[in-house]
Amino acid sequence: MDLHTEPLVLNMGPSHPATHGTVRFLLKMDGEKVLHCETEIGYLHRGFEKQCEAGTWTQVFPYTDRLNYNSAIQNNVAYALAVEKLLGITGQIPERSTAIRTIMCELSRMADHYTNLGASMLELGALTAFLYFVEARELTWDIIESVCGARLTSNYVRVGGLSTDLPEGFAAHVKEVFPVNRVFWSEFDKLLTKNRIFLDRMRDTGGISEENAIAYGFTGPCLRACGVEYDVRKANPYLLYDQVDFDIPVGFTGDNFDRYLVRMEEINQSMRIIEQLIDKMPGGPVNIDNPAVRNPSKEAVKGRMESMIFHFKNTIEGIQVPAGEAYVPTEGSNGEVGFYLVSSGGGKPLKCRVRPPCFALTQAMGEMVQGAFLSDIIPTFDMINLIGGECDR
Amino acid sequence: MFDYTYLPEPNMVPYLVETMAKIIFIFSMNMGVFAPLLGWVERKQSALMQDRIGANRADIFGFTLFGLVHVMTDALKLLTKEDFIPRGADRTLHYLAPFIAVAPALVAFAVIPFGGQYNLWGHKANMVIADLDVGILFVFAVASISTYGSVIAGWASNNNWSLLGGIRVGAQMLSYEVAMGLTLVGIFMVYGSLRLTDIGVAQENFFHWGIFLQPLGFFLFITCALAENKRTPFDIPEAESEIVAGYFTEYSGLKFAMFWMAEFLEMVTISAVLVALFFGGWQVPFVSHAMLADLFGFLGRDWAQVATMLVHVMVFWGKVLFWIFILMLIRWSLPRFRYDQVMNLGWKIILPLALVNIFITALVMLWVK
Amino acid sequence: MAGNYKKVNRTLKMTLWERVYVFEIIRGVLLTASHFFPNLWGAARSYLSGDPSIRKIKTIYYPEEVPPIPEAYRGRPVLVRGADGKEKCVACGLCEVACPPKCISIVGAMREDGTRYPETYTLNGAVCIFCGLCEEACPEEAIVMSYDYQNLCEYDRSLMVYDKEALLIPEEKLSKRLEYIRRRMYNKCNY
Repeated sequence: MDLHTEPLVLNMGPSHPATHGTVRFLLKMDGEKVLHCETEIGYLHRGFEKQCEAGTWTQVFPYTDRLNYNSAIQNNVAYALAVEKLLGITGQIPERSTAIRTIMCELSRMADHYTNLGASMLELGALTAFLYFVEARELTWDIIESVCGARLTSNYVRVGGLSTDLPEGFAAHVKEVFPVNRVFWSEFDKLLTKNRIFLDRMRDTGGISEENAIAYGFTGPCLRACGVEYDVRKANPYLLYDQVDFDIPVGFTGDNFDRYLVRMEEINQSMRIIEQLIDKMPGGPVNIDNPAVRNPSKEAVKGRMESMIFHFKNTIEGIQVPAGEAYVPTEGSNGEVGFYLVSSGGGKPLKCRVRPPCFALTQAMGEMVQGAFLSDIIPTFDMINLIGGECDR
Repeated sequence: MFDYTYLPEPNMVPYLVETMAKIIFIFSMNMGVFAPLLGWVERKQSALMQDRIGANRADIFGFTLFGLVHVMTDALKLLTKEDFIPRGADRTLHYLAPFIAVAPALVAFAVIPFGGQYNLWGHKANMVIADLDVGILFVFAVASISTYGSVIAGWASNNNWSLLGGIRVGAQMLSYEVAMGLTLVGIFMVYGSLRLTDIGVAQENFFHWGIFLQPLGFFLFITCALAENKRTPFDIPEAESEIVAGYFTEYSGLKFAMFWMAEFLEMVTISAVLVALFFGGWQVPFVSHAMLADLFGFLGRDWAQVATMLVHVMVFWGKVLFWIFILMLIRWSLPRFRYDQVMNLGWKIILPLALVNIFITALVMLWVK
Repeated sequence: MAGNYKKVNRTLKMTLWERVYVFEIIRGVLLTASHFFPNLWGAARSYLSGDPSIRKIKTIYYPEEVPPIPEAYRGRPVLVRGADGKEKCVACGLCEVACPPKCISIVGAMREDGTRYPETYTLNGAVCIFCGLCEEACPEEAIVMSYDYQNLCEYDRSLMVYDKEALLIPEEKLSKRLEYIRRRMYNKCNY
């Protein structure tokens, strides 16, 4: 006689330790096996895109910090590049400004990977490894804080420049922190990378084929883990990425272990980029010399009528951006980040659309955990690095 | 070999007094020292391993006692918390489960010797509550009862996560119970006894300690013991990132505290079994019972025995503490297994290796003879 | 430019070293133990001598010890009270416009000598996102981000609405920040 059985329906999230309030999985389970996984997002929707239409072009910057809060400056940069393209001043940005933007992007990438890898290990039970990377991340954030005044909500980049120049002793600070971070990196590596328990959890779990990854719109470390050689920094260089020497790690099979290794190696490559740029940091101004785009200096504002008028007009009406549309792809730490901006001519964006990398990655969750164990959802979901602020906007 | 004249005498009164004293000692050691203190040790040790400070904010009149006050505040909090039973839960079983979980951890200690045998003023004292001739089998038997506590808790909570946790406990315990028994067969063969006091006496010579005679058995046993304890590499039944808190998801207040306590007491029991079987029990390395008694000879014959007893008991607890430290180190260093991998490890690696260990032990014993 | 796509360092099958659990586990345990003992030693020495600098642990005992605040730090926005005791603010309203969440509201008025000043200046601390755009917009260096970050939260949101008196801080106390923003904003094209 056949026993009557039916699948167990399990509601994983939004209040579940692994989904931390931002996502819900509706699982159909056969014992421990996942028969079907339905992903539901939107728990952190704040109406970012609509919000952008209410303020001036400059006032969007603080809100871009809240997208991927682990690497806020990358969002700042992506937005600034798109506005600059609309304004047609991409080539006029001072070299020092571009160099600083590159450095800060890479610092953010390091911080993001530290957080992501650490938090994944936390959810696999290795709390000690997590705290070693948190310590490394704190040191990285200390650098970011000393530059822009806040750890997460950086609000650092402006259209046509930066909010502030690097502080004195920046290079020394970085050179002091990096050896410490390298020690933490190697300790994390020693604790996990060859540990059989960890390998069993990561190897051959959450895998996706190259074709499917491309079809889903994967970018970033998760795409490169599949073996696809695509990185915006190489394929479509922006900032100073065509002038520095760095490698892009590429995986073999696209499973979680490849994603982990790609991220680990990217931390090293980011350090390499920063160290190269710090040694040949160009001097000069950090802001474009165009009062219609970037506010003139305070000296000029106080001394000259025209500067004063520009300062008031820029602040009250916003930068006057000609009508048109622009999209600049940039390599965020999690994949391609881009802002698609439409201007109708004037001080406010008509439309601001974000391309969040983890949205595309989250789509594939169902396929990646199909037929896997309940426990495999954890490393897969962590390696996707869903950031609620970015995915739900 | 073991001197059977230490068995109960016709005159029951001193025997009863002695047994009561031993029970009170073990009980207060477990419930009064280890159960609360291990929470503190775990917090502080993990903090220091992870470059943190650890809990240190609770204070009494400004004295934080290195965070020890947190233990009291925890107890107070758990005592006063609402005892919540979810709708649809089986109330009786829900109440019963924590008791089933915590009792075996205490009872198992009855057969573990925490000292040797001493002749005090004509009374023969044996530092074990119940000197059963099936000693270690009793530990296994009792330990497997605690599994029921977890499984019943998972079933009675009327919660899918608890149910998954309960199933995982059942499967994991079943796999490791078998392997754990087999890993110790080597020890029984070497020492020729199941009685833990016998094994303790046999380890008087430092080089006859279990770890030297049964190195493979030791590694296998510590793995199984960790799995029985349900702590991190093997904490799949309560893996918080997967199934919330496993079988005790729906427990709160004192009932939750009992599961918590059971986990710590199991850790003490496991360390004690490890010490009794593999680390010479109460024996001081390189110093035999007679040598120690001679050392204290200036106190007179009976007082020398008392001093020896104190040294032995202290050495035993010291060894237990050392093993608790090692177990904590392992717990905080490693990620956790997956459900099927734990089964694989248990059935496909440890069980065959345990059988190989028995075979090798038998061969060596044959050859030595 | 040099540098290219490079395969990560992994074997498709687990190596024998990886297959045997024991070695890597022992290595991991030794590594965490190598953190435990120096940290214990450092913490004990620091406790006995009362000197926090020899503690190896980087975590600080927060309310008793405070972390160093960098120059660029953006704390609570405050108004500057000039040396003459009057607020520097001229109620031009630029900060009000520049504020992304619109947490500032100003009502301007005129003094007898013809200078303008804010009659009321309200900053809703519960809405403020500490972005620093007001500081950047102000043409008079009248509103600056202070280094004040402690005790800003309240149980009642209405207590977090700061009026002019709560916001005004004498110039001397803000000299470090004022010096920083002058350095930052006065160089040509070097905001």
